[in-house]
Amino acid sequence: MRAVRDGDLTRLGVLFERHHRALFDFLYRMTGDRGAAEDLVQDVFVRMLRYRATYRDDGRFETWMFRIARNARADHFRKQGAAVYVPEDGMDWASDAPGPARLLERARDMARLKRALQALREDRRELIVLVRYQGMTHEQVGAILGVDAGTVKVRFHRAIKELRAAFAGVAEGD
Amino acid sequence: MQCDDLAPRVLDYLAGTLPDDELAAIRAHLTQCPACREEMDTTAELWGELGTVAAPRPDSARMRARFDAALQGYMDGQNEPVVRAVARPPAWRLQPWMQLAGAAAVLVIGVGLGRVLTLAPSSSPEIAELRQELRDTRQMVTLSLLQQQSASERLKGVSSSSQLEQPGSEVVSALVETLRHDPNVNVRLASVDALRRFGGRDGVRRDVVAALPQQESPLVQIALIDFLLEAQGPEAASVLRRLADDMMLDKAVRDRAARGLRQVGL
Repeated sequence: MRAVRDGDLTRLGVLFERHHRALFDFLYRMTGDRGAAEDLVQDVFVRMLRYRATYRDDGRFETWMFRIARNARADHFRKQGAAVYVPEDGMDWASDAPGPARLLERARDMARLKRALQALREDRRELIVLVRYQGMTHEQVGAILGVDAGTVKVRFHRAIKELRAAFAGVAEGD
Repeated sequence: MQCDDLAPRVLDYLAGTLPDDELAAIRAHLTQCPACREEMDTTAELWGELGTVAAPRPDSARMRARFDAALQGYMDGQNEPVVRAVARPPAWRLQPWMQLAGAAAVLVIGVGLGRVLTLAPSSSPEIAELRQELRDTRQMVTLSLLQQQSASERLKGVSSSSQLEQPGSEVVSALVETLRHDPNVNVRLASVDALRRFGGRDGVRRDVVAALPQQESPLVQIALIDFLLEAQGPEAASVLRRLADDMMLDKAVRDRAARGLRQVGL
């Protein structure tokens, strides 16, 4: 990113290759919408170009990138009138589930879990997505959210508790 | 370890990043506390299940093609200033005295114009001068509206530009910048409309063509096609042909470009 900031814009292609999948994964899990996630990845890289001068050497590149991604996603929701996309059971979440007899039950659980995740408050879901799917530590998440690691730990505990409750609620509702 | 000590350690417990002594303390607590054990077991199970919820893979080839086009478009039209660490608004927005001076100027012009019109109904150099000042003030207001945070204010700015009799090059440039970089689709669409009356200018058409690759909204793309058709510039045919053949674009945009090509007789 230093090279991009200093004027070699073509080097952004290297960063795109390296990070677009992780960004897509994050944005897809936050929006539940494949097309929106692809558009937002594009938006994030355009913002990196525009705001390249704000990149500082003292932090991790991923922290800066995910901050931009959060802003892009927040703008997206604002433009959509804060509409939150709630996935249907049959939406295109890919599944690695194997196919024998337990498949049906497992697919149901998976669908419930997706609905429970989408039912969470956005900031709670974001926390779980960053930790579970981006594999971030609480320090890294804290750097992105602008809070200390202790706060992340406490918020994470709340988020996981709410997810448990939401999952139980969804299961009861079925 | 007490039950309350568990909460801040759940994340590390699940991630397997607890130091050995803390892990041993948690395990010891869990053997003695059925409520915590049940909570932790359920959480760990949920955590495992979450790991099986995969997201689809992105269409990397298509995304890369879009990225390359956007990067190229950015590099081609790179006369925009890079946003600095702290974006600085224009000096007059930072200085309250400048804003006051602006308001006072408007007042003086208004009062002056009223007096001159009352006392000297026939045309005079004073009236011409005041009219010019009024035009300048209106232009300044338009430019300031185009820089506002609120999209509705920026829309007012675009609309205000259409009411200027002889907008200066600053206003035209601001409209082009709005078209290129405004995050709001409605504002960008309005800017295309406002730019229509300058479609006869080669420079404006060139700027509009340069802004095309940056536009991802089919609505704006179609508005730009209409602009080019109306402006009837020499570049329209080649641009429309490129759009009609670009499989990355929305079908409605390609169809509109193809129809446009027929309109210009190609």
